[in-house]
Amino acid sequence: MSQLKSKRNYLLIAVAAVFAYFYHKDGAVTTSVVSTAISFGLPLALAAMVGIMCERTGIVNIGIEGTMLISAFAAFFVASTVKSIIIGLIAAIVVGMLAGFLLALMAVSWRMDQIIAGTIINILATGLTSFLFKQGHTLPSAMPEIDIPVLQNIPFFGPVLFMHGPITYFGLIFIVFLWVALFHTVWGLRTRAVGEHPGSADTAGVSVLRLRYLNVTLAGAVGGIAGAFLSLELVGSFERGFTAGKGFTALALMIFGRWNPLGALAAAMFFGIAQAVTNQLMIDQVVNIPQQFVNMLPYVMTILVLAFAAGKVRPPAAEGQPYEKEQA
Amino acid sequence: MIKRVTAGVVTVALAALGFALPVNAAVRTVSEASCGTASAFCVGLVTDTGKVDDKSFNQSAWEGAKAAAATAGGFSKYIETIDPKDYASNIDLFAAKKYNVIVTVGFLMADATAAAAVKYPTIKFIGVDQFNGSTAGNYSGLIFPEDKAGFLAGYLAGYLTKTKKVGAVLGTDVVPPVKRYGEGFKNGIAYAAKEQNKKIKTTIVYHAPDNAFNDPAWGATTAGQLLGQGYDVIFGAGGKTGNGALGKVAKKKGALCIGVDTDQWLTVPEAQPCLVTSAMKLLANGVSSLVAQAKAGSMKGGNFMGAIGIAPFHALSKVVPAAVAKKVKALTAKVLSGTVKTGVKA
Repeated sequence: MSQLKSKRNYLLIAVAAVFAYFYHKDGAVTTSVVSTAISFGLPLALAAMVGIMCERTGIVNIGIEGTMLISAFAAFFVASTVKSIIIGLIAAIVVGMLAGFLLALMAVSWRMDQIIAGTIINILATGLTSFLFKQGHTLPSAMPEIDIPVLQNIPFFGPVLFMHGPITYFGLIFIVFLWVALFHTVWGLRTRAVGEHPGSADTAGVSVLRLRYLNVTLAGAVGGIAGAFLSLELVGSFERGFTAGKGFTALALMIFGRWNPLGALAAAMFFGIAQAVTNQLMIDQVVNIPQQFVNMLPYVMTILVLAFAAGKVRPPAAEGQPYEKEQA
Repeated sequence: MIKRVTAGVVTVALAALGFALPVNAAVRTVSEASCGTASAFCVGLVTDTGKVDDKSFNQSAWEGAKAAAATAGGFSKYIETIDPKDYASNIDLFAAKKYNVIVTVGFLMADATAAAAVKYPTIKFIGVDQFNGSTAGNYSGLIFPEDKAGFLAGYLAGYLTKTKKVGAVLGTDVVPPVKRYGEGFKNGIAYAAKEQNKKIKTTIVYHAPDNAFNDPAWGATTAGQLLGQGYDVIFGAGGKTGNGALGKVAKKKGALCIGVDTDQWLTVPEAQPCLVTSAMKLLANGVSSLVAQAKAGSMKGGNFMGAIGIAPFHALSKVVPAAVAKKVKALTAKVLSGTVKTGVKA
C-alpha cells in the first residue's frame, strides 16, 4: 500500500514537472491548454460521478448518456422559454432526477436487467429530444463567467481554476465532496456495503432498496447538472445528439478511475488534456503529421494508459444484480 | 407476477415511444401516393448524417428543394440518414415510390448517388457538394467554389484582427468543400496581410472525421482555446460543430466570428454579438434551380457550379471601417470574375 502511494507521489511530481516546464516555455499557451482541458473534462467527470454513485450502490447505469441528453434539452428549452437560466438549471436537475428515478424503478423495484433499463433511458431521451426539438430558441443571456477576485490573479492557477462558469466550480467542489462522502461518512459506508454485499448490509439494518433508490435518483440529479453544463454553460444552445457519446466515455473513465471520484476526475482531466494538446498540435503545426493521426491521439493515449497504467480493477461485487430479500 | 408484467408492458411502451417519435414531418401539398402518376412531381431529399435543421448546409438544401417543389405544385419530403451504411437504402426508399427527383446532400454520398443514377435511369439525381465524375445524363453534381467564399471572409478577417491572430474551427478536412473553405480562408488572410504589410498568424483546427459536423461542445472548447491564446477573429465552419464555436466566441467581448454556408446571423441568433459575416454558398438557389431544370426536362448530367458570396455585416457593420467594407466589395467583384485567384486547387 505504501509502495503504491509513493508510486502515486512520483507520478504527481512528474506531472507537475511537465507542466512547469511547458509553463516556463510558453505560459499563455500552457494556461489555455489546461483551462481548455477542464472544459473538455468536466462534463465527462460529472458523468463519471453519476456512474460511480450508481455502481457503488450496485446499479449499473448505462443510461448516463440519455440522462445528460434529456437534461441538456430541458435546461435549454426551459431557460429559453421562461427566460431564466436558473429555472433552466432547476429543470435539468428535476428531469435528471426523473430519469434516475425511472432507472431505479426498473432496476430496483421491477428487477429488470439493468443494461436494458439503461438502454431504455438512452432510447427514450434520443427519441423525445429529437421529436420535441424546435429551432429558433435562444438563451435569455449567456451563462456568466465568474472570475474569482484575487485568486484569478495567481499566475497559471488563476486562469486555469478561477475563471470559469458557475457549474464548473460546482462540479469541481462536488467531486471532492463526493469523495469525502463516499469514504468518510455513514452514507458512504452503507452505499459501498450495499454495492458489495447487499445481504450483509440488509442484515445490519440498512434498507438496500431505499438506499439504491436514493442514490440512483441523486445520481440522476448530477447527470442533470452535467447536461445543463453542456447546453447552458459550455455551448449556450442545444442540438440533437448533443452529448455525442460523453455518457459512454464517462463509463470508461469511471473504470479507469477505479470507481473512485478523485480517480475518475483525474482520468477525465487526462482525457481533457489529451484533447487540448491535440488541438494545440494543430494550432502550432509544430510537426507535420497527418491531421487524422493527431485527431486520434486522445483515444490512443487513453487506451495506452488503460492497458498499462490502470492495472487490475475490480468493480463493486453486487453490481448489476437485483436484490431480493428471500434469496440473499 | 403482476409487477413483472407491468414492467414488461411499460418497457415496451416506452421503447415504442422512443422509436416512434422521431419521424420526420413531410410537407404535404400533394400526397405522396400520387408520386409516379403523370401529373405528379415528387422531390425527395436524403441528408448525410447531418440534420435538416442544422441552420446551415442541409437546411439550405432542403429549403431549396422544398421551394422548387412547391413552385412546381409538387410534393417534397426528406430522410435524414442516421448511419452512412444507409445511403443507398434511403435513396431506394424514394425510388421505390417513384419520385421524379432525388436530391442527395453531401460529398460523402457521391458514390451512392452515382450508383443510384445508373440503377434508376428515369429518375433525376441532384448531388449537392458532389463532384460528378460519371457520364450519367440523369445525375447532376452541384458544386461550389467554397475557396472563393473562404478567401473573401479571410480577407475581411485580415483587416479586422487587432491581435494579428486569426483562427478557424472547422469540420473535417476529409470533406473537400470544408478544406476549400479553410484553405481559401487562409489565403484570403495572407492576401490582406500582404496588402497591409503585416504579419498575421493563421491557425486552422479540424475536427476528427468521425462525428465532425455534430459536435458543438468540441467546437466551443476549441474556440475557447484559441481565444485564450489571443486570437480575436474566428471562422466556425462545419454544421453544428462550427455553430458551437460561434456561440463561444459570442461570449467573449471584442472577439469576432464568421459563419458559414448561409447567413448565420439569421439562423444562429446566439452568435449575433460576434458574427460579422458568413462565407456563403447559395445552396438553396442552386438546388431549386436544378430542381426546376429537372422539372422542365432541361437538366443535364455533369456538374453545375453554384454561386457564392459573403453575408451582410448586419449590426456589426459598426466594427467594419467604411474603407475596409469598400475594399471587400471591390475584391468580391474581382474574385467572382476570376481576376484575383484564391490559390486553392479545386
